[in-house]
Amino acid sequence: MKKRLLSVLLVGTVAMSLVACGGGGKKADSGDSGSSADSNKLTVWAWDQTFNIKSMQMAADEYAKDHEGFEVEIIETGSDDCQTKLTTCANAGDYSTMPDIVLMQDNSYQKYLKSYPDAFTDLSDMDVTWEDFGELKQAYSMLDGKHYGVPFDNGAVIACYRTDILAEAGYTIDDLTDITWSRFMEIGQDVHEKTGKYLLMNQATDGDLMMMMIQSCGANLVDEDGNAFIVGNEVVEKCVDLYAEMIEKDVVKLINNWDEYVQTITTGQTAGVINGNWITATLMSTEDQKGLWEITTMPKVDGIDTATNYANNGGSSWYITSNCKNKELAMDFLASTFGSSTEFYDSILPETGAISCYLPAGESEVYNEPNEFFNNQPIFSTIVEYSSHIPEFTSTPYHYESRECINTAVGNIVDGADKDAALKEAQKTLEFKMTE
Amino acid sequence: MISKKKGMSLVAKQRAAGWAFLAPATILIAIMSFYPMIRAFILSLQTGTGANMKIVGFSNYARILSDKVFQQSIINTFLYLIIQVPIMLILAILLAQLLNNKDLRLKGVFRTCVFLPCATSLVSYALIFRCLFAQDGLINNVLIKLHILNTGYNFLGNSTSAKIVIILALIWRWTGYNMVFYLAGLQNIEYSVYEAAKIDGANGWKTFWKITVPLLKPTIIMTFIMSINGTLQLFDESVNLTKGGPANSTITMSHYIYNTCFMNVPNFGYASAMAFIVFIMVAVLALINMKVGDTRD
Repeated sequence: MKKRLLSVLLVGTVAMSLVACGGGGKKADSGDSGSSADSNKLTVWAWDQTFNIKSMQMAADEYAKDHEGFEVEIIETGSDDCQTKLTTCANAGDYSTMPDIVLMQDNSYQKYLKSYPDAFTDLSDMDVTWEDFGELKQAYSMLDGKHYGVPFDNGAVIACYRTDILAEAGYTIDDLTDITWSRFMEIGQDVHEKTGKYLLMNQATDGDLMMMMIQSCGANLVDEDGNAFIVGNEVVEKCVDLYAEMIEKDVVKLINNWDEYVQTITTGQTAGVINGNWITATLMSTEDQKGLWEITTMPKVDGIDTATNYANNGGSSWYITSNCKNKELAMDFLASTFGSSTEFYDSILPETGAISCYLPAGESEVYNEPNEFFNNQPIFSTIVEYSSHIPEFTSTPYHYESRECINTAVGNIVDGADKDAALKEAQKTLEFKMTE
Repeated sequence: MISKKKGMSLVAKQRAAGWAFLAPATILIAIMSFYPMIRAFILSLQTGTGANMKIVGFSNYARILSDKVFQQSIINTFLYLIIQVPIMLILAILLAQLLNNKDLRLKGVFRTCVFLPCATSLVSYALIFRCLFAQDGLINNVLIKLHILNTGYNFLGNSTSAKIVIILALIWRWTGYNMVFYLAGLQNIEYSVYEAAKIDGANGWKTFWKITVPLLKPTIIMTFIMSINGTLQLFDESVNLTKGGPANSTITMSHYIYNTCFMNVPNFGYASAMAFIVFIMVAVLALINMKVGDTRD
């Protein structure tokens, strides 16, 4: 009897899960399968409910005011999942499962343009003044002079410091503004001696610090023709030296993953954070540190003519896929919201914290309001201003490969490997990855 | 004559029934497993980024010879294999032996406890191990409280200790799983065999080596093959625990293959070639294992 009951239960469970799968499959048919045939509806992939999804929703509401019946269907797809899904449908040659509009990390886009040139729509004819987005931001989504993406959020790098920890060691935010990395190192050592805290931290395996340092000099790990350029690259060698020295001198704390990164901030073990300005959202989640943080420019690399105190890390743009059945509608929608409306950017800023790349937006009042968390600094307009100074560099589809190679090399150097040998190895690995 | 009118003979009927029963599984395996394998092999003969593929023959396989990262991942994976599998299987067999004791109380509870780790998802247990071994994680806190360490040790940031953490995690996750097979095998050994040995004066050590191990041989071989197969395809731990770091010192073959497809500029042809190399390794190791374990003359 007991056995019979058990088997009934088992069959029941299996049947239930089959039904559930079937249900899931059906849903995927109607919602998930990309571009919609409805002439007044666009499907979108984006990944953050409180940030880009919300901004997109607000844009759609705004646009619907003048265009009756217009709506967007936003499918929440994690940033990594977005890429995996795009790769899967593009590689299968089946574009029909793509949405109309997709949000993508700026660092990834060149890779898709290279791999799947037919998958995206050329937007050059769109009614947008491209110059208003700053040279660098446009470069991320351009190939052969054609525009493919409408810039969304800003990735300008900011340096955030805990003023209370700095004060404990006898420094102010001004001491850290527009400085060089060597000066940063002196202060960092001092701070570590006096307070036991680190002035900066970085993820060892996929940290962005090296890339930010290199790109702040307008350089990259590739030369102008896109070939691997590590050995003999003056900027790279200088950055590697600085980085290794900072770790040795307890200025930079190495951590292993993003959880630890956030934890180091929330537990107050670090006096500073240098990253794309989207990091402010993480900082602001630590209510007890309100008013203690201030932002300024990042340090610049010593002894390099092209060095600046500005770089970019992260940020994303909207792309229209070639699967979109209603390209004119999609273009008009993006152009009249993300592409040209300062009012729109003003409206999403307080709600989502999405800082625009659209330079005219930075002049508005909303952008100049002081921010309580950052000791009443007007951080939004400051960040937009920073983004206008970021030097351009040669972008490459092999961004992730370059980052991996340089992080592996510095990891080994910090571990005691010979610098020249490690860089040579990195050069070889990157060259290898660039061949087919 | 009558049977001819009816159609098939009895033998033919039985054959037809046999084929009818075999057909669904065979067709499913062919479509879901063999067909993709053949397609993957064809893909491995092509190269190119993304959708722009062209046929190049075996150059992807030649490319592997100059790929330092893949070679590193092979070394890492085999290191896990050589260290982790024997430790795990010995532990599993000892635990099975202990829990097979006739006089043990609460057997069910202990068996469940040992088997329980297998019920956890690969990703979540990897994340839990990551938290445990974080710089201010539980392990470090305990070591500091016991005055063994002064400050937290960066377990996942050092290439040797990161590998050890992965091996520990694997042992924790899979020992119970293998133990269950041994337990099942042990139940099939008649208790009278042990009694006879006892009467003949064999001690525990001798009974274990002369009776338990030989009679468990088929099970041991099976668990070996499964463990080799599983370890060579190791993925979740490398991705979630260490992200392959520091400096690729813990990256596994599958993790690198995944990176080649989805993190880097996609090169599915080359990734398929690497996947086939893994397939060949598993096949060869399994074959050796079966030959070594073959009891027939």
